[in-house]
Amino acid sequence: MPPTVRSRLAGALPSCALACALVLSGCAGHDSQSEALTVTVSRGNCGTGWRTPHSGAQTIQVSNVGTVTTEVDLIDPATGGVYAEVEALAPNTTRPMQLTLGRASYAFRCLAEDTDAVTGPTIQINDGPPPPAAAVLPITNQDLTGAVAQYHGYVATGLGTLATNVAALVQTLRGGDQAASRSAWLTAHLAYERLGAAYDTFGDFADKIDGMPDGLPGGVRDADFTGLRRIEYGLWHGQSPASLVPVGSQLATDVAGLRADFPKERTDPNDLPLRAHEIMENALQFELTGQADQGSGTGLATVGANLDGTQAVLKALTPLMSKRYVGWPQVGTWITRTRAVVATAHRPDGTWIAPSALDPQTRKRLDASVGQLVEVLAPIAAIGDVRRTS
Amino acid sequence: MSEPEETGGTARRAFLRGALGAGVAGVAATGIALHGRGTAAAAPADQPAVPFHGVHQAGITTPAPPHAVHVSFDVLAANRAELSDLFHTLTERARFLTAGGTPPDPGISAPPTDSGVLGPTVPADRLTVTVGVGASLFDDRYGLKARKPAGLTSMVTFANDHLDPAESHGDLSLQLCADNRDTVLHALRDLARHTRGAMQVRWRYEGFSSPPRPAGTPRNLMGFKDGTSNLDVNDSALMDKMVWLQDKTDQPWTAGGSYQVVRRIRMLVEFWDRVSINEQENMFGRRRDTGAPLDGNQETDVPNFAADPIGSAIPLTSHIRRANPRTPQSDASRILRRPYNYDRGVDDVGNLDMGLIFVCYQQDLLRQFETVQRRLADEPLVDYIQPVGGGYFLILPGVQDAGDYLGRGLLA
Repeated sequence: MPPTVRSRLAGALPSCALACALVLSGCAGHDSQSEALTVTVSRGNCGTGWRTPHSGAQTIQVSNVGTVTTEVDLIDPATGGVYAEVEALAPNTTRPMQLTLGRASYAFRCLAEDTDAVTGPTIQINDGPPPPAAAVLPITNQDLTGAVAQYHGYVATGLGTLATNVAALVQTLRGGDQAASRSAWLTAHLAYERLGAAYDTFGDFADKIDGMPDGLPGGVRDADFTGLRRIEYGLWHGQSPASLVPVGSQLATDVAGLRADFPKERTDPNDLPLRAHEIMENALQFELTGQADQGSGTGLATVGANLDGTQAVLKALTPLMSKRYVGWPQVGTWITRTRAVVATAHRPDGTWIAPSALDPQTRKRLDASVGQLVEVLAPIAAIGDVRRTS
Repeated sequence: MSEPEETGGTARRAFLRGALGAGVAGVAATGIALHGRGTAAAAPADQPAVPFHGVHQAGITTPAPPHAVHVSFDVLAANRAELSDLFHTLTERARFLTAGGTPPDPGISAPPTDSGVLGPTVPADRLTVTVGVGASLFDDRYGLKARKPAGLTSMVTFANDHLDPAESHGDLSLQLCADNRDTVLHALRDLARHTRGAMQVRWRYEGFSSPPRPAGTPRNLMGFKDGTSNLDVNDSALMDKMVWLQDKTDQPWTAGGSYQVVRRIRMLVEFWDRVSINEQENMFGRRRDTGAPLDGNQETDVPNFAADPIGSAIPLTSHIRRANPRTPQSDASRILRRPYNYDRGVDDVGNLDMGLIFVCYQQDLLRQFETVQRRLADEPLVDYIQPVGGGYFLILPGVQDAGDYLGRGLLA
């Protein structure tokens, strides 16, 4: 699985030694009920000028007239839930906050670097319907600690399984039986793919264990093409199992290296919500297309293993997400549908129909299921993006 | 709530909306989630919008803007309730996209609700969204057999066709037209994003119409003006007679709809360019430079076939004469054409793949398009063109107002 590292944490922000001043100027949207309004913020204040808001569609122009980059949230002061945010608003910049206000309480919360959060006065809107979307409670680093630990445990256990399966693969390759070797390879490969969520925490080990020939000057003949995909290539391209033993031994060494290294690696808490959709994004890009296939045609088995990995992430995130994400029940629905299509590709003899060989109707169902699944998984990453609250 | 459970069922109206609808509106299962979406602010008044609501769908008798995409989908909704969801979602998205406006900010609850391709405020840009259904939708999947109009069939394979099955037919058709190509593509992305689980693209054509060169009807990629003689869309009595389905059909729910034919007709332009001008003009029956019929001087001159019974000026086999003989018997077979040119790369032998996205609308496929097409069989022009795909679709009646939706009559 290719690394697609995405960093969502901004770098260090300049410290706020001086007074931080924000001006929030709210302009009426196109709703005639709204009035133009200006909100000013100075040191210790955040949104004091916002006095007479009405419900309806609004575009609030948020200007930072201070000297320090600041995050500005529009929150429900009772719960701290966020209706809208402007992240990392640099000094002397203005960014719009677009939302539909409803009959509710609102306040601005300003989070300047190295400074405690400042929450402005509570504004009560007394007209119109309730807000069309509930405020979402932000998730902090602290909130994710338990989930990360749980997930770390899942990966550690999975790495043990992988090591066992790789040892069995090497043993089978030595025996020289092609069918048995292919079967042992699939078992080992799926053990790796079940870890999917953790790929970018594996660093260089990821390429050694499951790297593809893409991007290597020599392609499939490149000396750096090694690991599970290399063994797959050999087993499905007429290379004898025995000739692949050295690749298998190297693989076992790399897996052992990863197992030794992993407990020392810190998992960025942000990674977990991201993985919720990225595992299946990768499955779509590399398995459904057949790009990753080195001859085995087991892409749909991989998709199944990636679903396992996705569900491990979701399980760890459940306490945080089930109340924050209104589409949460959809996730289970579409995992179920995707699994049902994947299952149709598993032949009774244990082999798999390649995605490209599916009948057109099944293929469309697969594309629809995975496509909808990644859509319903994507908000988890947005909600789970680590935020400050104090 | 527990972790996502694997379950076979899904809440009615909710299944497509988890990420994009409910996340923003927070009322996943009520059915009103999307009504207000994307209307946070109206589009600027200077952005021309084609009205979405009406007895008929827009995109048929409304002026044809220069950019179009025609897409056929396979519907994958698991049951009739999900099919209804699909039509509601298409309606709600089309209503927003054709009006324009500022998409809502989802706050921290989801990725942006809009691709941003058209900037922070979506212009209407004369976008039209026209939705049709194919005969295959009326199979046993959704219990619609009793609703199927007798006049809706799968596209016939004609004598000179070279149809690719993967590029033919489909359960649902979408025609998107707008003043700019980015607007069309933005709409397609939006509609696909909101409907991924319920339908998947089967085939897709992108078309453009050329500006007048130098005047009059736009030219096709054979260099000829295409559409000179067309039904007058401003003649509403004529439209009722030739284009719109009436309520005295076998399926009264289709009243206000129309039958759509979409066909990709590859033009063998390299071969064509090696044909003499006289032969080219005799095949069409018109002058290439002016568009005038070969018995006239100007594009607008009406050919007088009766005065030329043996075809000495306009050959009997010419395209215009076969397509529309202009006799009392042929009058009822006329069609409303709304064609676009296409250009899509290079073929296996190094020739350019370009041609015509033939689109026409009519009241009766058999009486009109198929009759015309049978008259055209083996016309000399067929050596230079190849129909390669497309389909027949029933364009649904229009969405009357904010409470109505596409397919209401179909699913009622």
